[in-house]
Amino acid sequence: MSFGAGFLRHPDLFPARRAGEPWGDRALALDVAGGPYLLSGLTTAQEEALRRRFGSLCGPAEANGTATQVFRAPATDFLAIDTRGWEYTLDLDPAPDALQVAGLHLMARLGWTPALAGALWTPEPAGEEWTSVCENYLRLLTAYRLLEEGGALLHSAGVSDGEWAWLLLGPSGAGKTTASRLCLEGGGTVLSDDLNAVLFHEGTARLRKLPFTGDLGERAGGPESVPLRAVLRLAQGEEEGLRPLSPAAALASLVAAAPFVNCDPFRRETLLAVLERLARAVPAWEVTFSREGGLWAMVKTIR
Amino acid sequence: MSLSRVVATAWRENLLFSVLLELTYRCNLDCFFCYNDLALKGEPLSREQYFRLLADLREMEVMNLTLSGGEPLAHPDFLALGARARELGFVVRVKSNGHALRGELARRVRDEIDPFLIEVSLHGATAATHDRQTRVPGSFDRLLANLRELRDLGLRVKLNSTLTRWNEGEIEGMLDLADSLGLPLQVDPEVTPRDDGDREPLQVAPSREGVLRLFRLQFARGRAAEEGAPEVQVARGGDDGTVPTPVHKHCGAGSSGIAIDPFGNVYPCVQWRRPVGNLHQQGIGEIWRGSAGLAEVRELTVQVKERIGAEGPGSHLLNFCPGSAAAHAGSPLALYPAAVQRREALEQVMEEERKTLLPVVR
Amino acid sequence: MIAITPATVLRRRSDVRYRRIEGEAVVLRQSAAEVLVLNEVGASVLDLADGERSVGEWIDALAEEYEGNSITLARDVLAFAAELAEAGLLEPVAGRSEP
Repeated sequence: MSFGAGFLRHPDLFPARRAGEPWGDRALALDVAGGPYLLSGLTTAQEEALRRRFGSLCGPAEANGTATQVFRAPATDFLAIDTRGWEYTLDLDPAPDALQVAGLHLMARLGWTPALAGALWTPEPAGEEWTSVCENYLRLLTAYRLLEEGGALLHSAGVSDGEWAWLLLGPSGAGKTTASRLCLEGGGTVLSDDLNAVLFHEGTARLRKLPFTGDLGERAGGPESVPLRAVLRLAQGEEEGLRPLSPAAALASLVAAAPFVNCDPFRRETLLAVLERLARAVPAWEVTFSREGGLWAMVKTIR
Repeated sequence: MSLSRVVATAWRENLLFSVLLELTYRCNLDCFFCYNDLALKGEPLSREQYFRLLADLREMEVMNLTLSGGEPLAHPDFLALGARARELGFVVRVKSNGHALRGELARRVRDEIDPFLIEVSLHGATAATHDRQTRVPGSFDRLLANLRELRDLGLRVKLNSTLTRWNEGEIEGMLDLADSLGLPLQVDPEVTPRDDGDREPLQVAPSREGVLRLFRLQFARGRAAEEGAPEVQVARGGDDGTVPTPVHKHCGAGSSGIAIDPFGNVYPCVQWRRPVGNLHQQGIGEIWRGSAGLAEVRELTVQVKERIGAEGPGSHLLNFCPGSAAAHAGSPLALYPAAVQRREALEQVMEEERKTLLPVVR
Repeated sequence: MIAITPATVLRRRSDVRYRRIEGEAVVLRQSAAEVLVLNEVGASVLDLADGERSVGEWIDALAEEYEGNSITLARDVLAFAAELAEAGLLEPVAGRSEP
């Protein structure tokens, strides 16, 4: 299927430049890993919805950062989609210096001219639909920004004992939320049970908390940034246990866990370089766990 | 009774005749030298405001309505506005890049809008050049396929091209291409700064040699026109390329024509970005009759006429545009390099022509 | 040549666009990209050619408007209607012409 055809009524009209009619004249900055991210062209209602959603991460739009302009798109641009039992995947169309994105009530384009900047077109003027569109866009933008910073956005659960962090990798259904709950029950903290940022700081890989979570929801408090101790690939089974992963297997798991950018042939080399560095910096294990077992105790032994 | 006399009357009596609507700055191409001011902000006109505007323009006996952009097809109400314009009896022109004009959308444009003309931009004779300018890979091949489809649908299409440093070597090829498609091609030899004053587009302004070459070709094809070759015109400022009988104004900017941007700002002409009112504050009739800004513009077009007239015979070869002058040189009265270069090139080519046509005494 | 009688009902062709400027009509035939300028009577005829009223009714309406010699007017209007039909601006409405 050609780009956008699953979401858009007229893929031919997909914007090729960051232009259009802004929703309003409000703007804010989001202090999220790889940021700040500046969003402009908002209505007051859109701004307030983002402030409710992202709370203290929102600041005034004065700082330098990665800019995104938000524009109107007519609802009629989008196909009606029955989302029951449907897995939502953004449609990406990467190019050497641009990325086009189509999704539910969103069109977006990132451009490198030369700095990364974005534009988001949506028919959502306010409310949860708007924050959902915006969050989906921000997840994608964060993935690209982190890559530019030599880091990565990883589909993972990030757990910590306050001093160290462990990254639990696995596709949807592998048990990231369950594993997060088990760690919480055992006395650990959870950064996010869905998406975490890995960045290198003075040669050390660190996990940074992101406001993008799964079923577990957002966790107040806890560390914002913790040195990463190990990468763990989740597996569920009868016998609990740890098995070391080869660097190649670890790299494969990390690539599979790097959403959006792992489908972009023009950023593949960069992504591989970043993840290879990560695979060399921290040990990787496969951890088999059960719902009743002592996952957290097992994780903490990896030092 | 001639059209030029009617146009002159419209200029003299300030009778609004032609309106260009920039419906949106959204665009599915990203032309390097596009003049749109993409940083412009404001509240877009609603469908109801557009319907009211069209009704007002009908009342004012406006004849020509051009739907432009950005890409006008990207406006949510494009078809509805076009259909209403047809219902109200306007002569509708659509300025599109043609990229999305295919299939159902092209058929609906024909059936629901019945435009007099669709004006489509051609950027080169090859995919490499065209796509370099549009910055969308595949746009050339798509355009050629769409142009054939539009022709087969019976839509009237005209090709417009801006001469640039990048395509000036392909002008013959572009003219041949237009011929092979059976479509007229109009080439504008002038690249203008962006509407916000940004001069980046001038990086691709055509060379003197490029302009000369274009004019030579146009003269040569003018001679061939008697044999039935499609006519090529140099784009002219003012009112739809119509040359009026002498009047006291240089052009119809603000006197018989206006342009309106997506946020309701009203300008005397698409080239002359001097706001004279806004439709969120006033109706078009009120602006047309009462705007102090428009009164100034009308007075300026009188001054431009005097100023350009003082350039002596051949001043018409400048094809002077006060909007371009304001953009290039900061004043609608200032001579700007592109106009001077145009006159020099035309004089040179006319001289060459004269020598060719005069019998040579041996 | 289309035979025009006072019973003929004519309408503007669908590709005709026109506006009145200072009493005159500027007319464009879209299909031929042809522009014409008609005088005041011509403009009124275009207004009247709605596919409902017969040419005879136009003559009555115009006689009231211009208070001219009605015989001359009738002759002029019939000739004018024929001319505009010939020029492709007007077309007869099938089955609408009065007996």
